[in-house]
Amino acid sequence: MNTRRDFIKTGLALGAGFSLVDLGGLFAAETPAVTGAVPPGTLPGGVSRPVLVAVRDSDRVTMLNQALEALGGIAAFVRPGQTVLIKPNMGWDVPPERGANTHPDVVARLVILCREAGAKSVSVFDNTCDQWERAYNHSGIAAAARAAGAVVVNGKDETLYRETAVPRGVKLQSAKIHSLVLDSDVFLNVPVLKHHSGALMTAAMKNLMGVIWDRRFYHRTDLHQCIADLLTLRQPTLNIIDAYHPMVRNGPRGRTAADLIELRTLLASTDIVAIDAAAAKLLGHQPADITHIRLAAGMNLGRMDLEQVDVRRFKLA
Amino acid sequence: MSRTSHRLRYLRIAVAVVVLAGFTAAFSDFRNLLPAGLASGLGGTQLVPAFVALLTGSAFALGGVLVVLLTLLAGRVYCSALCPLGLLQDAISRLAALVRRRPPRLPPSRPLTWVRQVFLWGTVAGVLAGWGGLTLALLDPYSNFGRIAATLFRPLFTLANNSLVTVASAAGLPGINRIELHWAGPWLLLPPAAFLVVVAGMAALRGRLYCNTVCPVGTLLGFVANRALFRLKLDRSACTKCTECLRHCKAQCIDLRSGTIDASRCVACYNCISACDQGGIGHALAWNFAPAWSTPETQLVGDPLNPCRRSFLASAVGAMAAAVVPGKLARAAAATIEEIPFLVKAGQDSSAIAPPGASSVAQFLDRCTSCQLCLSACPTQVLQPALLEYGVVGLLKPRLEYATAFCNFDCVRCGEVCPTGAIGRLGPEEKQVVQIGIADFYRDRCIVVTNGTDCAACSEHCPTKAVSTEPYGANLRLPVMNRELCIGCGACEFACPTKPRKAIVVTGRREHGWARRQVEKKAVKPRRSDDFPF
Repeated sequence: MNTRRDFIKTGLALGAGFSLVDLGGLFAAETPAVTGAVPPGTLPGGVSRPVLVAVRDSDRVTMLNQALEALGGIAAFVRPGQTVLIKPNMGWDVPPERGANTHPDVVARLVILCREAGAKSVSVFDNTCDQWERAYNHSGIAAAARAAGAVVVNGKDETLYRETAVPRGVKLQSAKIHSLVLDSDVFLNVPVLKHHSGALMTAAMKNLMGVIWDRRFYHRTDLHQCIADLLTLRQPTLNIIDAYHPMVRNGPRGRTAADLIELRTLLASTDIVAIDAAAAKLLGHQPADITHIRLAAGMNLGRMDLEQVDVRRFKLA
Repeated sequence: MSRTSHRLRYLRIAVAVVVLAGFTAAFSDFRNLLPAGLASGLGGTQLVPAFVALLTGSAFALGGVLVVLLTLLAGRVYCSALCPLGLLQDAISRLAALVRRRPPRLPPSRPLTWVRQVFLWGTVAGVLAGWGGLTLALLDPYSNFGRIAATLFRPLFTLANNSLVTVASAAGLPGINRIELHWAGPWLLLPPAAFLVVVAGMAALRGRLYCNTVCPVGTLLGFVANRALFRLKLDRSACTKCTECLRHCKAQCIDLRSGTIDASRCVACYNCISACDQGGIGHALAWNFAPAWSTPETQLVGDPLNPCRRSFLASAVGAMAAAVVPGKLARAAAATIEEIPFLVKAGQDSSAIAPPGASSVAQFLDRCTSCQLCLSACPTQVLQPALLEYGVVGLLKPRLEYATAFCNFDCVRCGEVCPTGAIGRLGPEEKQVVQIGIADFYRDRCIVVTNGTDCAACSEHCPTKAVSTEPYGANLRLPVMNRELCIGCGACEFACPTKPRKAIVVTGRREHGWARRQVEKKAVKPRRSDDFPF
């Protein structure tokens, strides 16, 4: 934020976001079935089509506010008294400007919204690749989430993971899964969009590798199939992809900020396959090129064909 | 009316408590909460590491010189205020005294001059012969404390933390975190544990016996203390021979019959001053630069090095010859220390990987006293004590173990805390191109080849992108290695999921090198349009 004008603009946008969300929250608390916007997953006329919101050309917080507003407000997902888990990507010991982790602004804003919607607790964790405390701190997420009122949970505490059967998994039949994923009422999946040297792309589906204990099992067995298999157990309540400056090479860790391009985009959807399909297109791929997207679509875990998705586009500038 | 003065003793205890707590905290800092400056600052006060740093030119450390000057002024203050091993012994004898209630009255004893000389000159000879890395590591009291603390205390503190987490989470209090517990293997646990048992036994039964027989630093400082400007002196006119001072003396160095205190063994604990009701013990300015043994009345008092000139020369020359000659011969026979079989493992590549900043394995083994402060400070615990991976001279010195962790790209903590400069200080930029080893990719073991599925865990973790991927088969990506970019951090090896053998393995470099820093142009957008692609 460089100028007074920027400040006022952002402030107004934030204010607008707040007021809308607050209204939605009040409304939803009394009559949960009726919210300001069309409930996700259906269209007028009764045809079931997942909603995907795509927002461009503003700052992350404004885009997040816009996306949630289009989905009926945070109250459509978080009811008073519920426990919320936010799973960002904070796997790497690098600062926010390197784009290897979800931006702390997105996580912090989401925590505030959940708290305002009356969430009983908001937890944040990741089973990191780099040393966990360094990744938590240097990503900026731990401090931002705590300041916003979240509990930051250690993702490297094996006692917090529970061995869980995955009955519908093709290759992944059982996994040690973080208890917050199994027990939280609301599960918000908030990845950053990046190139991945092994999976070609990492976004919403790949981000969920950070909720299981033994990552090596995935890699050893069948990376893409295991990623798809986990979704048969529990899908996130909502997926939000931070594609403000996606990493397009040297992913998922990246080497320098030169690996990023500026797209100033944010996606949100309850359909994890649809959102990853849209993310793939942002990086110039066809959704079917990303094997786990194709596998998950084949297992009816979501829509890969964006023609069958209700895409709502917002350009804020 | 009592003329007792407790001031000096209380001051000594206050300093000792702070110093021992500081060292214990620095060596047990399992969450890296303390600033690196605390560890390096405390380490810098230690005689042996500071001298190693100064004499090898690896750091400008005046700690050793200051300690010698302090000793020349007031005797072995170092041993009772700054040496963590000495303070640990005091803590142990205090505990033992609690059990026994009233301390036994230890009779004054003769100094074990020959034993002291053998340990001191053996150490000196070892250093002169080029085995300093081994002899200092074995006998430096600070390093011995460090190994006890890093191997035993750190895991115990972690265990205590984890028990606290269990209690707290049962009480519904989040906020503290369970930390992964690392116990060293039995063979690595044994040496410090055995040393602790021996020292604790000696401390419980005979106070500072270890410091006055085995410890070469104690003997060296005893030699200096014998010539100190201020020495403790017994006022024979005040002494009633009540023996209360003997009961509180840790060093058995007070001889009431001759009315003398052996300055070479006195560790300046000031218990005797405090214990004497008559105010019969205090500091006196010694105008002569002559050691106490030169006064005719001494019987039990002796200079550790000079019981008499002849035996001094004989023992010194004998011990030096015994250690230096074969050592020199061995080193002459081999051009470098690495070529000596068994003691240092041979070969172009090192089977143990030395930390970044070590420059070379040979230099590292010469300078490291294996205090293991770096092991305690390492946030990923990739630094583990070596057993025989470096050879015998590398026993218990840090090496990088990639089975359980890898070296964090942006971390330079081991170099920041190292008190000897064996691990040189690197800036983050330097550290990121120091090549401590190089990874080799074994295609025939790789999951992508053997299983026909994507993986690239190695490339995913690689911070320099020495491991990238290339298209392979039907829509797969196979790792490909660029050795020029590899720094040997082990992230790839750690992440590799293949069993039983990893498909990517780092081999250490004996002489650390520099990796190429790759500079890439700004990435371009896949599409020109600013519209949504869907």
